[in-house]
Amino acid sequence: MRSSEKQEKMKKTGEKTKAKRSKEEQEEQEEEQIFNFNNNNKAADEDGGDEDLTDSEESVFSGLEDSGSDSEDEEEGEDEESVEDDDDDDEEDEDESVKTEQVQQGEQKEEEKEEKEDEYAQDSSDEEDIRNTVGNVPMEWYKDFPHIGYDLDGRKIYRPIRNKDELDHFLDKMENPDYWKTVHDKQTGSDIVLSDEQVELVNRLQRGQFGDVNFNEYQPTVEFFTKDVMIHPVTNRPADKRSFIPSLLEKEKVSKLVHAIKMGWIKPRRVEPDSRGRFYDLWANEDSSILSNHRMHLPAPKVQLPGHQESYNPPPEYLFTEEELSLWEQQDPSDRKLPFVPRRFSNLRQVPAYQRFIHERFERCLDLYLCPRQRKMRVNVNPEDLIPKLPKPKDLQPFPTTQSLVYRGHTGLVRSISVSPSGQWLASGSDDGSVKFWEVCSSRCIKTVQVGGAVKDVSWNPNPSVCLLAVALDSVVLVLSPSLGDKQVVSSSERLLSGEQEPTEEAGPVIWSDTEGEELNRGVRLKIHHPKAVHQVAWHAKGDYLASVMPDNSSHLQVLIHQLSRRRSQNPFRKNKGLVQCVSFHPLRPYFFVATQRSVRIYNLVKQEMTKKLQANSKWISSMSVHPGGDHVICGSYDCRLSWFDLDLSTKPYKMLRHHKKAVRGVAYHRNYPLFASASDDGSVIVCHGTVYNDLLQNPLIVPVKVLKGHVITHDLGVLDVTFHPTQPWIFSSGADATVRLFT
Amino acid sequence: MSQLQARFFTEDKRYIVDDVPFSIPASSEVEDLGNIINKLLLAKNASHSKVEFDFLVRGQFLRTSLSFHMETEGISTEEVVEIEYAEKITAPQPEECMMHDDWISSVDADNEWILTGSYDKTARIWSPEGKAMMTVAGHTDVVKDVAWVKRDGLTSLLLTSSLDQTILMWEWNSEKNKVKARHCCRGHTGSVDTVATDPTGSKFSSGSWDKMLKIWSAVPTDEADEVEEPADRPRKKQKTQQLGLTRTPLMTLSGHNEAVSSVLWSDTEEVCSASWDHTIRVWDAETGEMKTTLTSTKVFNCISYSPLCRRLASGSADRHIRLWDPRTKDGSLVLLSLTSHHGWVTAVKWSPSHQHQLVSGSMDNLVKLWDTRSCKAPLYDLAAHEDKVFCVDWTESGLMLSGGADNKLYSFKYSACQTDAGA
Repeated sequence: MRSSEKQEKMKKTGEKTKAKRSKEEQEEQEEEQIFNFNNNNKAADEDGGDEDLTDSEESVFSGLEDSGSDSEDEEEGEDEESVEDDDDDDEEDEDESVKTEQVQQGEQKEEEKEEKEDEYAQDSSDEEDIRNTVGNVPMEWYKDFPHIGYDLDGRKIYRPIRNKDELDHFLDKMENPDYWKTVHDKQTGSDIVLSDEQVELVNRLQRGQFGDVNFNEYQPTVEFFTKDVMIHPVTNRPADKRSFIPSLLEKEKVSKLVHAIKMGWIKPRRVEPDSRGRFYDLWANEDSSILSNHRMHLPAPKVQLPGHQESYNPPPEYLFTEEELSLWEQQDPSDRKLPFVPRRFSNLRQVPAYQRFIHERFERCLDLYLCPRQRKMRVNVNPEDLIPKLPKPKDLQPFPTTQSLVYRGHTGLVRSISVSPSGQWLASGSDDGSVKFWEVCSSRCIKTVQVGGAVKDVSWNPNPSVCLLAVALDSVVLVLSPSLGDKQVVSSSERLLSGEQEPTEEAGPVIWSDTEGEELNRGVRLKIHHPKAVHQVAWHAKGDYLASVMPDNSSHLQVLIHQLSRRRSQNPFRKNKGLVQCVSFHPLRPYFFVATQRSVRIYNLVKQEMTKKLQANSKWISSMSVHPGGDHVICGSYDCRLSWFDLDLSTKPYKMLRHHKKAVRGVAYHRNYPLFASASDDGSVIVCHGTVYNDLLQNPLIVPVKVLKGHVITHDLGVLDVTFHPTQPWIFSSGADATVRLFT
Repeated sequence: MSQLQARFFTEDKRYIVDDVPFSIPASSEVEDLGNIINKLLLAKNASHSKVEFDFLVRGQFLRTSLSFHMETEGISTEEVVEIEYAEKITAPQPEECMMHDDWISSVDADNEWILTGSYDKTARIWSPEGKAMMTVAGHTDVVKDVAWVKRDGLTSLLLTSSLDQTILMWEWNSEKNKVKARHCCRGHTGSVDTVATDPTGSKFSSGSWDKMLKIWSAVPTDEADEVEEPADRPRKKQKTQQLGLTRTPLMTLSGHNEAVSSVLWSDTEEVCSASWDHTIRVWDAETGEMKTTLTSTKVFNCISYSPLCRRLASGSADRHIRLWDPRTKDGSLVLLSLTSHHGWVTAVKWSPSHQHQLVSGSMDNLVKLWDTRSCKAPLYDLAAHEDKVFCVDWTESGLMLSGGADNKLYSFKYSACQTDAGA
C-alpha cells in the first residue's frame, strides 16, 4: 500500500509538470472543455471505442498510468472497508492527476494549432480544473453534502447519483473490457475511460521516459571550446620574462633537498626488490627450511590448480552436454564433480563476474583454518585385530548341534533331569508328581515312579557301582533304587542302603525312614524327612554323602549333609550367611561349594573353614556347576548372566557371558569334553566350548559354539534344567513344555 | 556340445542292442535315453514292449541331464561315452502291516519266517504273509535283538537278547508251533543290545552295554555250563532254571570303551562290532584278537556287511550312512557317505541279492532305499511309519521289513532284478 502510494505521488509530480505545459490551453478553452469533457465522458460511458477513435491520432503524450489505477481498483474492491481512509487519499491524489490529464485530453486539437501561435499568451492561472471551483482541497470535506463543489457561476455541482454498489463494480470489472483503464474523478464524480494514448503516456512515465515521444534526449552537443590545439593563440599577448629565466625559488628548494640528501636527512625511496614479487607461487613446493625448523610442520593444504575446465574458452570436450548438465543439476551440490559448469566465451572480456568467488574464498579460509596444525601420531589399528582370536566353532567339534530325540510323557513341567553315570538312563522329575526313567538311545520311558508331589530335583548317584537316585520332593528326600542295570550294581546299592543303622539321635532335625509295601515295590527305598521344603540335592562324587538344600532366609539350618551308609545327617553351618541357592561337592578334594544369592562360598570340609568367597557380580544366582577338574565354577543367574570363575585366578568372575535374553535356569559342565552349557527361560540352551589348560599361565578358552532351540516357552518358562551325557558330546534339556530333549 | 557320442551296453541279455556309437543330444535325460533304447529294441524285435530303464555313466546313476552329469563328474565330452543301462528298479510295494503290542526293537527275517523283538518283553514269529505264528515270552525286560540261528526242517533255533542282560536260545517247532527255551546265556553285565549268528550257525556273538563282546556256542546241548554265581538271590536262580540251561560265553572280546551297539559276522572267522565309542572293530573270532579299527567321530548305531561288495555300511547318530572297507589297514577311510536322513540312522541293511543296494531306517520316521551308484539321493523313501524306525531287514525273497516305535512292522515287496543279482 505504501509503495503504491509513493508511486502515485511520484506520478503526480511528473504529471504536474506536464500539466503546466498545457496550462494555457486549459485556461483558454474552459467552457468548451467542460462541454467536451462531458460529452466525452458520456461517449465513453456509452461507447468506449468511440472515444478511442477520436483521441487516438492526436494525443501523443497524454494518458494515465494503467497498472497503478488497475491495482488501485482491485484494492478498492478487495479491501475497501479495512483501508478506506487510505484509499480515499489515494483516490484523491489520483483524481487530481487524472483531472489534469483529462483536461489535456480534451484539448489536443487546439494544442497543435496554438503552438504555432503565441505560446506565452495564455499563462494566467494555476487552476487546473475550472469546472469545480473548490480548488485543491480534500474532497472528503464534501462528503456529507449533496454537492461536491461549485461551478464558475457559483452554482452547486451536485454529486452524480451513484448507485453502483460492490456487485455492480464487480460485474463491471468482469464484463467491461475497459474497466482497467476506467478511473473515477472525484471532483466531478464521474468515471473516465482513458484513451490508448493516455495509457501509453502513463506507461512511458512509468518507464522513466519523457512524455513526449518526439523529444530527443541525445541531441548532438555543440562545444564552445575544442580539444584540438589551434595554430592561433586565443590571446596575442607576448610570453613573460619569467618563462625564460630559471626560478630562483625552485633552485633554492632543490638545493635544500640536495643538501638534505647529502646530509642523509632524506633517504631516497628504497626500491622494493622485485625478486619476491607481489605474487607468490601458490603451488610451488614448500621451502625446506621451514620443514627443517619444525619437525611436525604441516604445510597448508593447497588449492587445486585450475584446469581446462576453468578456462573461459575450454576445449569442447570439457563443455557439458545437455545430459551432463541435467545430471549436474540433479546432483546434490556436495556430490558434484565440478562446483561450476564450464562455459565458453568468445573472449575474456565477456566473462562475467564469478559468482562463487566469495563462497570459494570462504571455503579456502575454512580449509586453512581447520587444517590440523599438529601431526597426530595415530596408530592404525585394524578393527578385526581387536577382536580376540577365537577359533571357529567348526574347529571345536564335537559339540551338540541338532535336536535328535524328544522324550515325551510328562504332563507337567520337568524341573530336573539327571543322567545315570553309565549314560544309559535318564531320570527326570516333573511337577506332575512323577519321576520317569528313560532309555537314552531310544527315548523309551522304561519306568515311571509316582512319588506324589512336585519333584524339585533329581540326582543320580555318581558312583557307577551303585544305582540310586535322590529325589527332592516337598520336605522329603527320597532315595530311589530304579534297579536298572547290572544285578551286581543293584545288589551293591541295596547293601549301601541297608547299611548298619545308627541309633537315631533325638536331637537331629532329620528323620530317616525305610519304606514298606507299595512304596518299596515302586522302588522307593529310603525317605529322609526334612523340617523344611528341600529344593536341591547333590551327591558327593563317591556316592555316600548327599547334601540337601532348604532355602530359608531366617535360619542357619539351610544345608544338610547326609551320609547314606550310616544314615546320619548333620548341619555343617552354624550361621546364616544368606539364602542358599544351591550346593555342590568338589569332584576331587574335600571342598564344598555353597551358592547364596550373590556369592559362592567354598568351605574346606576337613579343616571346617571357609577358604574362598566368589563374588558373582550378579543379582541372584540360580544355578552352579563345578568343572570336573575342580578349579573352575560356572554360575547362572536370574539376571541372564553366566559367570565363569577361575578359582586360582580371582574371586571375581574370569568371564561373564550375557548371551541369554532371560533368566538362566541351569548350567552344566561336561565330564570329559571341554563343553559347558546354560539353559534359560528364553527357551534356548547355549553350548560353549571351554577348554581348561593344565598350564596355569594359560587362561581358559571360552567360545560360545551353539544355540540350541527346541523347547516351547510355556507360562514364561523355557528350559529348566540341562545336563550333559557323561560320555558323549550330547546334551539333555528339560523344559516347561513337559518334554526332555536330547541334542547331539 | 549339443551332440555327444555314446555307446550303450547292458548286462541284461534280454535288452542287448548293437555295440555302435550313437550321436545323442547332450541335454537328453533318462527319459530320452530310455526312448532311444526302446526304439532300438523295437527295431530289433517287433514284439518288444516298452521297458523303463535307468542309466549309469561310469558307475553313477544318471539323474540330471547328461551334459550336466558329465560336467559334475568331470567326464570328457570329447570321447565316446559308455552308458550302461539296466531295467529301472521299481518302487517297493507295501504288502503287510503287522501290529505289535509295543515298540518293535528288532527284526530278523529269512525266506520262511519273520522274527521280531519287541519292547513288550516278547519276541514274535510271523509268516511272510503277515500271520502271527508264535509269541516267545520269557524275558524279564525289553527284547533288544533277535536272530535266527539255524533251521533243520521244521525245527528252528532262534536267539533273543534282552535288557535283562541275558540271551535266550529257543527251539521252535513250526509244525507243532511250540517253543522251548534251550539255553539262557548269562555273562553280560549290561543290556544285551545286539546278537548275531555266524554263517555256519555254530556260534553267535553278542554285544552289550557293558562294552563287552562275547562269542557263544550256538549248538544246543543238554547240559548246563558251570556258573560261579554269587549266591545271594535265590529268587533269580529259580527264574533261570525255568528258562533253559545256563550257558557261558566261549570268549569275551574286550576293547570297546563304550557300549557295543551292533555286531555281525563278516566271515566265519571274523566278527565286526560297532560301538558308541566311535569305532568299528574287526575281530578274529578264533583267537579273539582285534584285527582292525575303523574310527569315526560319531556314535555308531548299526552296521551291515555285504558279502557281495565286501563293504560295511554304518548308521550313525549324525544322520549319515557311511560305507567302509573293513580290510583296509589304515583304518578310518570312509568310502562313501549317504546323507538324506534327518535323524539318527538306527538301522542299515545291505540287500542280500544286490551288491549296490541297501536300506536304512532312521529316527525321522523314514525308511530309505539306496543305491551306492546314486549316492546323492536315495532311490526311494518309504514313509510308512508314524514314529521312529528302529529296525529294517531284507530277505532274499525280495521282502523289505521295517519296524519302529509306532508298533507296526511293515513289509514291502521289492522286485529284485535277476540280472543284477547275478552281477
